[in-house]
Amino acid sequence: MDFFRLLPEGCVSDILSFTSPKDAVISSAISRGFNSAAESDLLWEKFLPEDYEDIISRYVSPRVCSSKKELYFSLCDSPVLMDGGKLSFSLDKKTGKKCFMISARELAISWGVDTPWYWEWTSHPDSRFPEVAHLHTVCWLDIRGTIGTQMLSKRTNYVVHLVFKLAEEHHGLEIAYAYVRFVNRVSDKEAEERASTLSLVGKRRPYVKCPQKRVDGWMEIELGNFINDIGDDEDVQARLMEIKHLHGKGGLTVQGIEFRPE
Amino acid sequence: MSSSTKFLTLKTCDDKKFVLDEAIAVRSQTIKNMVEDDCVSNVIPLPNVDSKTMTKVIEYWKKHSEEGISKDMLMDFDKAFVKVHHSILHALILAANFLNDKEMLDMMCQEVVDRIKGKTPEEIRKEFDIKNDFTPEEEEEIRKENAWAFE
Repeated sequence: MDFFRLLPEGCVSDILSFTSPKDAVISSAISRGFNSAAESDLLWEKFLPEDYEDIISRYVSPRVCSSKKELYFSLCDSPVLMDGGKLSFSLDKKTGKKCFMISARELAISWGVDTPWYWEWTSHPDSRFPEVAHLHTVCWLDIRGTIGTQMLSKRTNYVVHLVFKLAEEHHGLEIAYAYVRFVNRVSDKEAEERASTLSLVGKRRPYVKCPQKRVDGWMEIELGNFINDIGDDEDVQARLMEIKHLHGKGGLTVQGIEFRPE
Repeated sequence: MSSSTKFLTLKTCDDKKFVLDEAIAVRSQTIKNMVEDDCVSNVIPLPNVDSKTMTKVIEYWKKHSEEGISKDMLMDFDKAFVKVHHSILHALILAANFLNDKEMLDMMCQEVVDRIKGKTPEEIRKEFDIKNDFTPEEEEEIRKENAWAFE
């Protein structure tokens, strides 16, 4: 006897809304009854972020979705540009948690403004943003990206990555340093002292982080991670730098810095 | 007619009667509304609840109305209370829904949630005796469309 058939309409959807998007999709393969409950707009509205309507209002170009489920999956499968193209937004499919990438234009890049012989702004066919930052050469490599924790999903571990490509001819990128800090709680100096070491070119050594290939064809390297509790920690900042040994560095293309749930 | 009755008599669908302190019975919003609207005669009929389920509901209500009971004791009680066969779980959900006891309804639904989370469709069907009414082709199609969730 299938007791779920006896439950009031909406009750099964209600129950599913306390599982996870992944569990809800799996349950759609149990029976026809579950399959129809797992389509419900009320269910998928609960899996969307609380502020999804605000986020939609900040889209660069509006998207039309016929149901909340379609909206949910459209955000998982292709990131959407918002805030005039400064940010991209997507959802983690299995959990529905929020993922943002700050475009290179919105990063604070030393020597990145009006000095195209150091950093040049160009378009890139594989970038989701209109512009990427291409490094010809600098001695002082310093890139920061900042986001308000109130925009991120609550009670979530976030990991921060620099999304980049290397030119065939690159130099001076064997070693760099990175950290992630809560701006109001940890000073630059304190964070610098405990910065991690990484290698953008993937030179493997103990305790040195190396890049990974992404499905979108770009490379990514972890800058750090943090726990977003209830989103009241104000700004969180990720920084990549090499300002110790002032040798020349070049051949790096930056798409942005991504904050995504772990 | 008086609305200050100390005891209420509840009659389940199988004609069993339960005499219960009004202060306890009003954990049910449905009963509370009836009492407040003064439409309570001697016996309150509960056409959607059988006596076996009502016994469990009253056991829950009495425990949660006990004076001086600690939070830990209540948690232990709740934990044991929900560990029942799914047919009883469903009967309790229907009863809590009809009686409009949100606290109890949420607790029972959470137990169903816990029995679904992280399981495969086969495991969930087995847990709740659900018949697979898909054709093999339909099921294959659903799994194919959502391959990421079944990995």
